[in-house]
Amino acid sequence: MRSTLGTVVLLASLFSLLASAQDKPVNYKGLEIAPIGIERAKNVALVDCPPGQNSVRGNALDGTEFAVVKLAFKVTPAFDQKTFVKKPVLTDASGKTFQTSVSIIDAGTRPAYECAFPFRVPAGTKVASVAIDTATIQLAALDK
Amino acid sequence: MEIDRRKFIATLGGTAAVAMMDSEAKADALEHYMEETLDEQVAANQGQAKFPTVAELEAQIENRNYRRGVGSLFVNTRGNVKKLEPMPKNATLQDFFRLRFAPANHVLQSATRALKTGMSEEIILACLLHDCVLNLIKPDHGWWGAQLFEPYIPEKSTFAIRYHQTLRFYPDADAGYEYPDQYHRIFGEDYKPPQHIEATYKMLRNHKWYMEPRLVTVNDLYAFDPNATVSIDPFQDIIGRHFKQPKEGLGNDNSPSAHMWRTLANPDQPL
Repeated sequence: MRSTLGTVVLLASLFSLLASAQDKPVNYKGLEIAPIGIERAKNVALVDCPPGQNSVRGNALDGTEFAVVKLAFKVTPAFDQKTFVKKPVLTDASGKTFQTSVSIIDAGTRPAYECAFPFRVPAGTKVASVAIDTATIQLAALDK
Repeated sequence: MEIDRRKFIATLGGTAAVAMMDSEAKADALEHYMEETLDEQVAANQGQAKFPTVAELEAQIENRNYRRGVGSLFVNTRGNVKKLEPMPKNATLQDFFRLRFAPANHVLQSATRALKTGMSEEIILACLLHDCVLNLIKPDHGWWGAQLFEPYIPEKSTFAIRYHQTLRFYPDADAGYEYPDQYHRIFGEDYKPPQHIEATYKMLRNHKWYMEPRLVTVNDLYAFDPNATVSIDPFQDIIGRHFKQPKEGLGNDNSPSAHMWRTLANPDQPL
């Protein structure tokens, strides 16, 4: 009984540690990037990052859906305003990668902002992580 | 209903365009805008946008006193057209932007995005010019637009303008292009591109320049922000390097598309 309880406590601690590691911001050349969440949608707003008010929306094709990855960005003094920040690339649980149509443009023009990156994936795809150039942000724990 | 004033003014072509409208035209425009906004809000509240079918769009044809394909310079769906300022004698591309294509907000946004995302100068130029011909005519605008600019710009830019029209019907997630719901709205949710567009698409998929028009479509999607502030100034050098401005002025140089420039310059000519 005691060992079962111990195992449960240990596992809970591990999950908690894993979750906090996944929520922790990643620093990319002075840009702090933290995951906020993942949503699924068939129709999404197509707005670049930092967000403007583009009015066009995109539609998923039959058998696909958008995995919308929401990220928070914080610009620190170490960030060079001229830095060209690449588009995020999503990796699913099997290692397959997916592109987004959203670009990160003028990343240093606001001190902090949130962006939504839609990735068109086969319906039901489990996501693992998103990478912006060399920075990788773990997402598996957020993909409920 | 709450009206977003800036968004409303942007739909009319900006403050300069609004200043030229009389009170009746402004009232009509506001009513039309409120109807459209209400429809969108209702659709959003229902969780899904409602798009017309091809048949529903066809049923609207005889409710209008103009055809949808007419160029923007030739019709004002929300009031009377206005007297245009004459073009200068040796008109340049910039003169046409100022006096005939204005506000040109969409193409300027598109080119600005291409510039900021590090695309080639041929692509930036193609983005800047890709929809200018809509002032003249709308159907087949890729082909008409390419014909208008072909004598003056690099071959890759012409290729990109001609074929962006085709690629807008075909999503390409790897290149970052999604099918826009705007197309469900204007063509109908059950629209299928005609055979010549399908054939063109097949040709393009195997073409070494596929990405040229594809990148125009990628920027096209993200260039409908009613609050974006844009200008032609960042593109002056690119225009200078790549646009072969005729010394006689556009329309006077006897090029294969000179007549198209003259039509844009003088849209009130009866014949």
